[in-house]
Order: sequence, then C-alpha cells, then structure tokens
Amino acid sequence: MSLADALARPLSPVGRWITGIEHAFERARHSDKAVNDTRLRIFFVLALFGAGFVTLGLGATRAALFSAYSRGGALAAPIPNARAELTDRNGQVLAIDVPRYALYLDPHELVHPAEVRAALLAAVPGIAPAKLDRILAGDHRTFVVGALTPDQRSHIHDLALPGVSFEEESGRAYPLDDLAAHLIGFSSKDGIGLAGAEKAFDAEIRADKAPVALSIDLRVQGALQDELDAASQALGVAGAAGIVVNVRTGEILAISSFPSFDANAAGTADPATMVNHAATTVYEPGSVMKVFTLAMGIDAGVATPDTMFDVSHPLVVGSQTIHDYDHDGDQLSLAHVFTHSSNIGAARLGLLAGPEVMSRYYHAFGLFAAAPSELAESARPLTPKALTPNIVASMSFGHAISVTPLAIATGMSAILDGGVYRPLTLKKLAPGQAPAAGRRVIQESTSRTMLDLMRMNVVEGTGTKADVVGLRVGGKTGTATKLVHGHYVEGRNALNLASFAAIFPTDAPFSADRYLTLIMLDEPKPVAADSGVTSGAFTAAPVAGKVINRIAPFLGVRRVIIASDLAAKPAARATLGANEQ
Amino acid sequence: MKLSGVLGQRVRGFRVVDLVALVIFLALALTVYAFKTSAGRERTDISHVESQIHDETRQVKLLRAQLAHLESPDRLEKLATQYAGQAPVGAKQELTPEALAQVVRPIPAPAPPAAKPGGQP
Repeated sequence: MSLADALARPLSPVGRWITGIEHAFERARHSDKAVNDTRLRIFFVLALFGAGFVTLGLGATRAALFSAYSRGGALAAPIPNARAELTDRNGQVLAIDVPRYALYLDPHELVHPAEVRAALLAAVPGIAPAKLDRILAGDHRTFVVGALTPDQRSHIHDLALPGVSFEEESGRAYPLDDLAAHLIGFSSKDGIGLAGAEKAFDAEIRADKAPVALSIDLRVQGALQDELDAASQALGVAGAAGIVVNVRTGEILAISSFPSFDANAAGTADPATMVNHAATTVYEPGSVMKVFTLAMGIDAGVATPDTMFDVSHPLVVGSQTIHDYDHDGDQLSLAHVFTHSSNIGAARLGLLAGPEVMSRYYHAFGLFAAAPSELAESARPLTPKALTPNIVASMSFGHAISVTPLAIATGMSAILDGGVYRPLTLKKLAPGQAPAAGRRVIQESTSRTMLDLMRMNVVEGTGTKADVVGLRVGGKTGTATKLVHGHYVEGRNALNLASFAAIFPTDAPFSADRYLTLIMLDEPKPVAADSGVTSGAFTAAPVAGKVINRIAPFLGVRRVIIASDLAAKPAARATLGANEQ
Repeated sequence: MKLSGVLGQRVRGFRVVDLVALVIFLALALTVYAFKTSAGRERTDISHVESQIHDETRQVKLLRAQLAHLESPDRLEKLATQYAGQAPVGAKQELTPEALAQVVRPIPAPAPPAAKPGGQP
C-alpha cells in the first residue's frame, strides 16, 4: 500500500471527529447542525493540549521545587576556607576540618525580638549582647556568630526561633589539644595558615584534598613532650625545647616546646606559651657547641683525639679569663677535653684553628644563618661582628653566639650522619624516596670519630645520666651561664641554659637510621634530688635518656645488651629499672 | 507518482507534508521530554547520593577528629597512669622474638594419680 493510498483511507470515527474540526463551522452552517457540537469538539482538543501543558508544568515544578540541587548538593559552592587534613607519618590526624555553622539573624521575621534575644544569649554564650542588639535594630539578614558545633546548631535549631538561619562553614580542629601545638601550628578562621606546619605547607593544604603527611611520629612526639613537660615542671624552667631527628633522612620526628598551648583556642592563648622555643628562641648553647668545635678541629687537621692540651691554668684571652668547672689534670687529650667538657681545652683548639677556619666551618654547619626549614618561625642567630681571638675562644665552648635549637640540631645532624649537611624537613619522605642530596661539610671519618667521642662521653664523661642500656647512646652536655643585664652571673644565683645533645645508636653504619635527641632547659631551678646542681649533666641529660628509652622501640632500634652493660655501670642499671613498677 | 506530488496532496484539508512535519515534531517533542524527564530523575538521584556522601563525609570527619582526640598519646598515658598504674616500658620488660624461648618455662608434667588403697595394681 502506497503512502497516498494509506492517507486516502477512510479514518476511524474518532479520527474523523478530530480531523473534522477543520471547516467545522462551515460544515455546521452548511448542514444546519448545532454549533454546540462543534464547540464541544474544539473544547475537547483544547483540553488535550491543556492536559499536555499541565503535565509539562507539573514536571517543571517538581524539578524546580523538589530537586536535590536546591538543597545544596553537588552544585553547592565549595567551602572557601576548606583545608586538607594534616597527619603524622603513620596517618594519625593532627589537624582536620570539621563542619561548623554560622548563625544568621533576619530582624524582619521577628515578632518578639526580646524573646529571640534572650534565647540566643542563653544558647550561645559567646555572643556579645551589644552586637546582638545592633543586629536586631538593623534591617537586613546579618551574621551573628560562627564556628558553632553541630550540637550547638541542633540545640538552637530545636528552639524554633523565627528569623534564625544557619550556613555551613568549615572549622579547623586540633584533636591533640596542646600536644605538638607549636609544630602543627594553627590557621585563621578564613582558612589561612598562621603558624607551624599549617603555615609552612599552607599552599599545599589549601590546594589538596588528600591529607598532607608530616614527618613527625606522634608516639615519639608524645614521649618527648611528656618527658620535657615533666622535667620542666619539676625544675621550674622558664622555657624548654626538645627535638628528635632522623639524621640519615633529615626528617624531624618530634618538636616540643614548653610551655605549650591549646591550638583550638589559639586566639585566647597566652602569647608567651605560643612561642616555639625550638625554632624561634636563640640561646647561647654552651658546651654542646664543642661538638662543632671538635669536628672542625679534627676535620681541618688541627688536632686529633690524642692531641694534648694544657688545661693547668685558666686561659686569659684579651679581657676574658676562661675557667673549667672541673680540674682533672694539667694535660688533657682532645678526647678528654670533650668528655670533661673543658672550656680551656676547647678554647685552645679554637684558637689553634683560627678565625678563618672557624668561620668556614661554622658557616658550613649553618650556625651563622637561620636554620633552613619549612617553618617560618626559624629565627636568625645572633652572631659576632668579627671573629676576634676573644670571640673565637668564647665560641669554641658555646658563648658569644646565640642560635636556635633547630639550627643546632641541623648542624649536628650533618656531623653525625657521615658529614653531609641537609636541611631538616617536616615533610614525610615517601617510601623509597632518597633524602635530600645535601652538601658535604666534613669527612666521613671525622663523623665516625665524633660518634665515638660522643659515645665515650656518655660511657665515662659528663653524659652518663643519659645512658640507656643496650641503645649505644652518645651525647654532649651543655651548661651556658646566661647573661643577666649584660653580665654573666656565676655561683648559686647563676641562671643556666642546660642542654644535652644525644645520638643513638652510635655504632650503626651511616646507611642506617640514627636519631638525634636535643633537649634544652632554660633556667632550671635547683632541686634537692640533684644536690642543687642545674648543669646539663644533671638536668637535661636524664631527660634525653628517658626519651630515648621510650622512643627506641617505636623507631625499631633494638637493644644490644652485653654483660658489662649491667655489671659495670650503676647509672645504666638505674636507667634500666627506672620505669619499672 | 513523484514524492513532491504525494507530499503536496491534501487529506481532509491538510497537506500531507504538514501532517508528516506535525508527526515528526510531536515525536521529537515527546522523545525530548521523555529523555529530559528521565535525565532529571537520574540527576536527582545522583544529587541525592552526593548529598548523602557529603553528610557521611562530614560525619566521618567528626568521628576521625574524635578518635584522634581519644587516641592522643598524651591522653592515653594520663589515663593509663591514673587508672591502671602503668608506666613506660623499661628495658627489662622488652624481649626480642629470639629470646622468647629462654623465658618460656617447661610445663611440669602432671603428677601420676595416687594409687587407691586396695585397688588393682
């Protein structure tokens, strides 16, 4: 059947009725049928069109009113202050965005403003009454308060107050409260990092949705901060700092500063507690600097560990007379200068090396510049204008130069990791990722000699209180008399900076992980248990030992216990059982 | 008969070409409407699921923050000290896997049951 035939076929009665609309009026007039019949046909066709439009209209209305888009789903604007999570190296959360809500009030919708005012003031104590009064007297919807928790929002919502509405925002939570607060830092309500890692990695945190993993290990951080806090409170210090570093990779595993603060309430914290003493405060470090002096002297060929130094009399350099705290013989080998912490011997070594050598090495160790760190808080040192003999002698035992603990840790890591200086980092290295290349500052043999000297110092020198059974700890004590009104005060009224730099295990190959623990206690007060002595050997060294004893299992450092460990050293035995029930 | 002739014919007053165009127009309109409605439904479902994901993510973040707070080494240590009297592990309490055999004491063999008086040997 052709198309023409199909179209020419007679239509069904309904088809004829519908198609008969054309010329309906003419036919009606021609056939004298009632006009009403034609009108009915027209009405019916219009009803069909009407039904079609109603269907379309209902669909459009449904889409407009009941679509999930209108409830702020996928097309909702991204939260402007959103930040990625900060985690430790094992994925433990350090900082995280949590939902918070901003409360808005529209005075136009209020019938009884006084009741709403009273209810809001009771529900949210943080609202200033004067501010609320201004908003109630206004003529448009206004922000009242932000950072409401879901519970607070729910509570206010349940009050069914007219004119009150909420908008979701992002709030930054620091679930560890004051643990690692200086290291983690904090951000503003606008989502901008202001301190610590929050500031150091601000761009990455704001750009990425994936968590940003720091190098720190929360278990190590917890142990360091716990021991540092305990010692700081027991000794009544003015401040304290602690750092744990993997010297092979340059990763910082923990940074602690005392006193600490709660990052969740950074806006109301005492500014003094927010200072990161590890990165910001510069100290005259005292005898821990002898590590640098000896590394310089040995590496430059000025002396060997067996070179003898005359320490029989105080050394007069210019207007300065240098003394030793303990006098143990007239002649000391350089090794014993180190283990007896002889200022005279160290000063003689510095003078032998001379200002040019000292300047070259101290620059290489990074002591004349701010520690290269992601932390913006890393402060510049206070350095002498010229290396006169007086200054060279003083710097040899840690005076006449003020540096941050972070700078000391960075420079000392270079000496103890085989001689390569690399900036310490707060970013976790990916598995298999090689540490930063760095630059060689001393020979590997010098590094090994320094490790042996530091171990010797803990076995038989000033650092015995830091020894821990089986962990082959090495270290160097430091006790720097502080300047008070421009003068060093000696005697019982002296204010000290007590420090201890520990390294373990000292006998590990340079290809293996080795850990530096630096403890600094600012102005420890005499306590009866230490016979009133506030030197680094009696205050900071035990703290380092306790920290190492606790963190070694986390770091996978196994104890190697030999019989002599238990038989020969009462100090070691004391540490062995120190934490047992 | 040519196609133009067929399309130009009138059937009950309507040109065939107009009727064909009308049918095509109606078919297209209905098809588009059907697809749009179907796509709208899908979009609504997707949006609903995304909204659920958003809510769940929010909840997960809250729970992660809460968990991190509860698992804070600082907090756990205080609780362990306060309620369980625990302290950091000392060197004597550490053991390598290789040394386990040295500390495991042999279990004593059970004593033979005492013979009953007058019993069978």
